[in-house]
Amino acid sequence: MKDISCRLLVLGAGPGGYVCAIRAGHLGIDTVLVEAKKLGGTCLNVGCIPSKALIHAADEYEKALHFASGENPFGITTSGPVLELAHTIAWKDGIVGRLTSGVSALLKKADVKIVEGSGKFRDGKTVEVETQTGLQVIRASEIVIATGSAPIELPFLPFGGRVISSTEALALTQVPRNLVVVGAGYIGLELGTAFAKLGAKVTVVEAQSRILPQYDGELTRPVGKRLRELGIEVMLDAKAKGLDDKGEALSVEAADGRKRSLAADKILVTVGRKPMTDGFNLDAIDLDRDGPFIRVDDKCRTSMRGVYAIGDVTGEPMLAHRATAQGEMVAEIVAGEKRAWDKLSVPAICFTDPEIVTAGLSPEEAKRAGIEAKIGIFPFQASGRALTMGKEAGFIRVVARADNHLILGVQGVGDGISELGSGFSLAIEMGARLEDVAGTVHPHPTRGEAFLEASLRALGHPIHI
Amino acid sequence: MPYDLIIIGSGPAGYVCAIRAAQLGLKTAIVEKWPTYGGTCLNIGCIPSKALLHASELFEQAGHGLAPFGVEVSAPKLNLKAMMAHKDATVKANVDGVAFLFKKNKIDGVRGTGRILSAGKVEVRSEDGATKTLEAKAIVIATGSDVASLPGVAIDEKRIVSSTGALKLSAPPKKLLVVGAGIIGLELGSVWRRLGSEVEVIEYLDRILPGIDLEVAKQFQRLMEKQGAKFHLSRKVTKAETTKNGVTLTVEPVAGGEATTMSGDVVLVSVGRRPLTEGLGLKEAGVTLDERGRVEIDAHFRTNIPGIYAIGDVVRGPMLAHKGEDEGMACAESIAGKAGHVNYDVIPNVVYTYPEIASVGKTEEELKGEGRPYKVGKFPFMANGRARANRTTEGFVKVLADEATDEVLGVHMLGAGVSEMIAEAAVLMEFKGSSEDLARTCHAHPTMTEAVKEAALAVEKRAIHI
Repeated sequence: MKDISCRLLVLGAGPGGYVCAIRAGHLGIDTVLVEAKKLGGTCLNVGCIPSKALIHAADEYEKALHFASGENPFGITTSGPVLELAHTIAWKDGIVGRLTSGVSALLKKADVKIVEGSGKFRDGKTVEVETQTGLQVIRASEIVIATGSAPIELPFLPFGGRVISSTEALALTQVPRNLVVVGAGYIGLELGTAFAKLGAKVTVVEAQSRILPQYDGELTRPVGKRLRELGIEVMLDAKAKGLDDKGEALSVEAADGRKRSLAADKILVTVGRKPMTDGFNLDAIDLDRDGPFIRVDDKCRTSMRGVYAIGDVTGEPMLAHRATAQGEMVAEIVAGEKRAWDKLSVPAICFTDPEIVTAGLSPEEAKRAGIEAKIGIFPFQASGRALTMGKEAGFIRVVARADNHLILGVQGVGDGISELGSGFSLAIEMGARLEDVAGTVHPHPTRGEAFLEASLRALGHPIHI
Repeated sequence: MPYDLIIIGSGPAGYVCAIRAAQLGLKTAIVEKWPTYGGTCLNIGCIPSKALLHASELFEQAGHGLAPFGVEVSAPKLNLKAMMAHKDATVKANVDGVAFLFKKNKIDGVRGTGRILSAGKVEVRSEDGATKTLEAKAIVIATGSDVASLPGVAIDEKRIVSSTGALKLSAPPKKLLVVGAGIIGLELGSVWRRLGSEVEVIEYLDRILPGIDLEVAKQFQRLMEKQGAKFHLSRKVTKAETTKNGVTLTVEPVAGGEATTMSGDVVLVSVGRRPLTEGLGLKEAGVTLDERGRVEIDAHFRTNIPGIYAIGDVVRGPMLAHKGEDEGMACAESIAGKAGHVNYDVIPNVVYTYPEIASVGKTEEELKGEGRPYKVGKFPFMANGRARANRTTEGFVKVLADEATDEVLGVHMLGAGVSEMIAEAAVLMEFKGSSEDLARTCHAHPTMTEAVKEAALAVEKRAIHI
C-alpha cells in the first residue's frame, strides 16, 4: 500500500479528535484521521449521547407512571404504561447512527481523509495503521493523540457475564430485576437512576462515605433525597468484594464490617475511567507522563516536538466539551494562529435527578485558593417557574471575590438546569462581577432568574427571598 | 408619619420597587386594589399561563409523545378541574410569597384603589367606600396595563374572553377562535389546542408575532400549523355576534374585499394591552401622558411632576414583567439617591409556546431598517446531540453580529426550552461581547446550548457540526 504523507494526523475520532480534524480541514490543513472503531468515540457511541437518550426515555416512562397512578398535580390520567426496552434501545441506536454518520459527512465536507484501523506509532512522525486491506503507513509533520479513555476494571470483578460497564448497560434490551451499581460517581448514579425509573431494584455500593464525591454535600443533598424517593438503596463506606461462589450475587462488606450478598442480574461497575495509553505503541516515542496521563502544556504540546495530545488522555476533567475545545485550539495552533488554553471555566454537568451543574470555583475551592469569597444561594422553591412545573428541589449558588465581586464560580442543582451551565461559564469568561449579572435583565418566568437572585443575595439584597 | 415612598400597584414592577426601596431604608407603602398582590403577572398572566402551558404540554406528551421512546400508554384522560387546581395552587404560592416578602421587608400593604391627589398625597378608597389619605415624599405609579378591546367585539369573559377568561374555561371549547396572533394569543391558543380544541387564529398583520424576528416567526407558524392550528392573516374582525351555542365573527380582508363569517364556541381576544391610567387622578395632578396614553417619563422614571415616578406597563417600552422588575429596582435606587439604570437594548423576550421562542436585541428587520451591516450565524437543533436524544430537534439559534466589530447585536432562538438559554446571550450583550467571545466560551456537552456556540461560530463561517 502506498504511504500517505500529510500535514496533520489525528489519532482517535472522539469529540476531541474529530473536531480537531474538522477545524484543521476548515483551515486548509491536509489532515488524516485514524480510528479503529466507530467515528464519534466514547461520547457518541457509548457515552454522553446514548446515556442521555436512555435517561430521557426513563424520565418519560416515570412521568407516564405518574399519569397512570393519577399521582400528578396536573389532572392527567392514563393506563399503566408498557415499556418496550428493546424499542427504546433501537431508538437510541438510531440516534447514535444518525449522529455518527453526520460526523462522517462533516469530515468529508472538511476534506479530511479517514483511515479505518488501529494506529501504532513507529516514530514521532510516522504511524502505521492496520487496515482491512493491509498495513498503511502515514507520515505527518504533526500528530495529535486523541485516544480517549476506557472504563476502569476492578481486578476482583472483571467485566464479563453479569458484570458490565456503562457500554453494556446502554445496550441492555431488558430491564434487570436487580441491578447493583458499584461506584456512586456520576456515571453510576445517572444510569442507576434511569434503570430505577424503568423498574429495576437498584442498589449502589460506594467505598467512600458520600455519593458523588467530586461535588460538595450541599449540591448532592437533593440528589441523595431523590435516590431514596426512587427506592434506590445506597450503601456508603461499603466495599465490593467480588462475585459470590455461585457467581449470581455481589459480596459486599458493609460499613459496619458485616458481609452482605446482593443478588444481581447485572452488576454495573462505574469506578472511573482511565486514559487510553495502551495499544498504539506509545513507548516508541516515550512521552512525559503526568501520572497515568500524557503531560501537555497550555498549548496541548507533549514533550516531543510536533506531537500534541488532547482530551481524556491528558487528564481531568474527562469531558467531551473540554476535548472539543482543546481540539479546536490545536487545529488553530497547527494553522499558525496564536492560541493557548486560557479557559476560566469548563462547565460540568451531572445528569442525575435533579441535575447538577458546576462552573468555576466552588466555595471550598475558593477557600483553598486563599480567596475570601461572598456566596449567594437562591432556592428554586422561591422561583415562579419552578412552581409552575411542580419541580422545586435545588438552588443556584454564586461564588464571588469578597473584595471586588468578581464571579469565580456558579453551581446549581435542580430539574432541567443542565441548559444553564453555558450561561454560567460565559459570565465567568467575560469577567462578570455580581453587579453585572444582577444588572442583566433575565426573562421571567424562567429558572435562570435564580442566577440573578443568587447574585443579588451575594450582594446582600435579593428581591424574592 | 409620612412615608418616603408610596407605590400604586403591586405587580412585578411595583412589588420589586417596594422591596428594593425598603432594602435601601425607605419607609414604603404599596397600594393594591385586588385582594392579592402580584398584579397581572402572578394572578392572571405569566404564572397561571405557564402552569397551564406546562400541564397541557404533559397532557399532549402523554397522548402522543411517548411511543418513540418505547413507552406505551392508553389515550390520556383529562381532569381539567385538577389541572386548574394546579394552576390555582401555583398562583397562590406565588402571591403568598409576595405578601411574605412585604412583611419581611416591613412594607405596608394598603388595600384599596389609589388616586393621586397631588405630589406627595395619595388617596386610598377601600372596597367599603372608606377613604384615607397617605402622604409620601415620592409616589411611583405602577398600575400596569389592561386587556385592549376591539370595537364591535365586547368581552363578556364567557363566550368572548380575554386572557383572563381563557385561563379559567370550564371545558376545552370545541372550536376556539383567537383574534390576534401575538404572544398571549398563541400561548393560550396552544394550551387549548393541546387539551382538545380546534384552534383558528385571525391576525390583522400579514405575519404572526410582530416584533419577533421574521424568520423565526415564519418557521414557528409552520410548526404550529403542523400541530393543527390554522392561521388567517391580513384579516380584520369587525363584528362579533354571540348566539346560544357560540360566537360568529365577521371577518374582512385588510386589503379590502368581501366579508366572511367564522364561528366558534369561544373567542379569545388577544389584540394587545393598554396602559392603565384611569381613575388615578393623573389629569388633576397634572401628570402628562404621551400620545399612546402612557405616563410620560424621562430616563430616570420621573414624570413631569416632581416627586411622581412611573414604571412598568404604564410607561413606554415592552410590556414585560422582567422589564418592569428592572425598572422597579432602578427607580427605587434613583429615589434612594443611587444610580439606577435600565439598558433597554438588552431586554430578553420569551414566547412559551412549543417550541419556545426566545430573543434579545435587534431582529434582522430592525438592523436592515437601520442600515447597519451585520453578519448572520445560524445553527439548527437537528444537528445537536441533546436535541436528538430528547426528540426536540425543531428550530434553530441565530446570532446577529456587527459586520465590522463583531459585536453581537441580537440573538434569536426557536426550540424546546430556549427560554432558559437566552439569559446567556443577554449577559454577553450587556458586556458588548462579540460572536467570538460566545464561540470561545466552553459550552457543556451534551446540551442544547451547544447550538448557541455553533451559531456563534457560524458567524465567521466556522461552525463545526454543520
